[in-house]
Amino acid sequence: MDTQSIEQYYRQHRKAIVVAMSGLLYAGGWSIGYVPGFDAASTAILILAAIIGGYDIAKTAYYEVKSRTLGIKTLVTLAAVGAIAIGSYWEAAAVVFLFALGSYLEGRTMRKTRNALEELLEMTPDTATVRRDGEQKEVPAREVEAGEIVIVKPGEKIPVDGDVVEGESAVNQAPVTGESAPVHKADGDEVYAGTVNQEGALEVTTTGTGTDTTLQRIIQRVEGAQEAQSPTESLIDRFAKYYTPAVIALAIGAYAVTQNAVLSLTLLVIGCPGALVIGPPVSIVSAIGNAARNGVLMKGGEHLEQAGKIDLVAFDKTGTLTKGETAVADVEGFDADDDEVLDLAAIAEMKSEHHLGDAILDAAQNRRDPVTDGGATTAESGTRSPTETGSLSEPDDFEVVAGKGVVAHHDDREIVVGNRALLDERGIDLPNDVAEYVRDREERGETAIHVVLNGTVVGAIALHDELRDAAPGVIQELRDAGIEAVMLTGDNERVAAAVAEEIGIDDYRAELLPENKQDVVTEYQADGHVVAMTGDGINDAPALATADVGIAMGAAGTDTAIETADIALMADDLERIPYAVKLSKATRWNVLENVGLALVVVTMLLAGVLTSYVTLALGMLVHEASVLAVIGNGMRLLRY
Amino acid sequence: MSDTTQFRVLDFDCPSCASTVERALSNVDGVEDVEVHYSTGRVEIEYDDGVSDPNAFAQTIENQGYTPQPA
Repeated sequence: MDTQSIEQYYRQHRKAIVVAMSGLLYAGGWSIGYVPGFDAASTAILILAAIIGGYDIAKTAYYEVKSRTLGIKTLVTLAAVGAIAIGSYWEAAAVVFLFALGSYLEGRTMRKTRNALEELLEMTPDTATVRRDGEQKEVPAREVEAGEIVIVKPGEKIPVDGDVVEGESAVNQAPVTGESAPVHKADGDEVYAGTVNQEGALEVTTTGTGTDTTLQRIIQRVEGAQEAQSPTESLIDRFAKYYTPAVIALAIGAYAVTQNAVLSLTLLVIGCPGALVIGPPVSIVSAIGNAARNGVLMKGGEHLEQAGKIDLVAFDKTGTLTKGETAVADVEGFDADDDEVLDLAAIAEMKSEHHLGDAILDAAQNRRDPVTDGGATTAESGTRSPTETGSLSEPDDFEVVAGKGVVAHHDDREIVVGNRALLDERGIDLPNDVAEYVRDREERGETAIHVVLNGTVVGAIALHDELRDAAPGVIQELRDAGIEAVMLTGDNERVAAAVAEEIGIDDYRAELLPENKQDVVTEYQADGHVVAMTGDGINDAPALATADVGIAMGAAGTDTAIETADIALMADDLERIPYAVKLSKATRWNVLENVGLALVVVTMLLAGVLTSYVTLALGMLVHEASVLAVIGNGMRLLRY
Repeated sequence: MSDTTQFRVLDFDCPSCASTVERALSNVDGVEDVEVHYSTGRVEIEYDDGVSDPNAFAQTIENQGYTPQPA
């Protein structure tokens, strides 16, 4: 090894080397002290141990004093110098060595916590292949401009945020959403920087680069969240402000009474509120970091502590418990054949922007053109323009009756498509057989609407929004954790009851308008519940804001949802909800454990010192051990 | 003109050490605002680029016994 590499090694491992040397000298000096006649040598070696181990500590202490703060390093330096001055060399060396060792281990473990997000940052590749002037060129990823086409080969990481314009592939989005299963991407789909293209080549129009990507924004938010003080942290900080001067006053008082310098110095050293101030931030940083790697964005320690108290989770039905992909389940003609009923409804709904209307249009289109459409893309409703609907004709006029349905005219015919309320409003008789059919479908959890031609009900259409597979399991998991689940929906009572039963939810509220959801949340709060509201974060924004904890699903692409929510689930993954709630509860306990441990240790040490059971070195040992214990306990949350 | 720079210090070993670094940095000439976060190790400095020498920031952090990394 040449000098240069030795120097480099020393610089990198300086703290460890210093601690090891100080420890060896301490052990050596201490053992030699037992050999008769070697007293002077023992003293010299112990002082050397204190100087080597204490140099960095004293240097920081100097800067602490210079910037007029009283930190632990100043106190430790004082203690060591004081111990040497009164001839307690062994104690001086022990205090310095133990403190240096403790600090080294603290720094090392905290580095691990601080690095938890680093892995995410390293996900984004540095270069991108762009198409410029008809040629493929490799350029730094941050220099790609919005609108440029980036080519991503199979197996490569996607370097920018963008929309797919060419190709089809499966993309692993774990860094952004925490989902382990790859997501299918084709023309028009959004992709995120840092995610991995697994199968086919993709061409992507760039929408965001550099620091303006979804992943970067997530990381910035996570850091902001980790830095925000939780209520417990602020409380402890306020406490520490009075506590430290109080300990100093106690040490001075003790010296005045006993004239025992070592006792006073010991009080100063063990009186530092180490474990108390370190515990809560470590727990919270670890928990937020863990959540981020699982695609859950926690807004901060405050929200985490609040989420730890949740005892009721309210779910919006559509899009949260269900997949939000409404499709026609059944068409029944009464005074007409089924196809005619569907076509009439499709004409009336042609220009409607309602998701039920989209589902009806899709079904009518699929029936006419099953080959090209294959029936596979019912999920992609709402993107079809009227010109594409080919043989389906457009209505002459069209009117939306909000919350009830539509009324349209076509070729001198009046078509009404809507719910029971719309029929009542227009004085249309509902034949018994249709009513029975509708009741039957609703009892299966489907939404049924009536189709009326020139004042006569000619048929009904049942629409179905499939439940998420995970829903029943999630409700059960919450119940097992002692948390109540309720469902809020705009659907009618019968549909709500059927869906609630299928999922296993006991309590539900039906026929709610969006603004009613907020009131329901307030009602539950008035009953003494700590309420979490789960929704898409856009339509439910007021209810999410009113709830004690707002949880938004599928927030990866929508900044509004992330803004409104206290907890944002990047993926549309319902199973993250029990995970997030349980992690919050575990964090709350973890913080309490750490605070409790710190208080017990400090109290015992103070009592021990005042009754002379605890010496300077022993006090330092226990103090450092308690600091490492709370860090270790907090870091358990990284692997929760 | 006001400018902002960031460092990352991974080896803070106690919350009060972070506060000490924060105070030391705020005493550097031309520094307008400093935030030092113990939990993430992030250091953000807002300074007057006509007055401050950005090299002095890293030196100040090193003097306190910690290793600044560019962020």
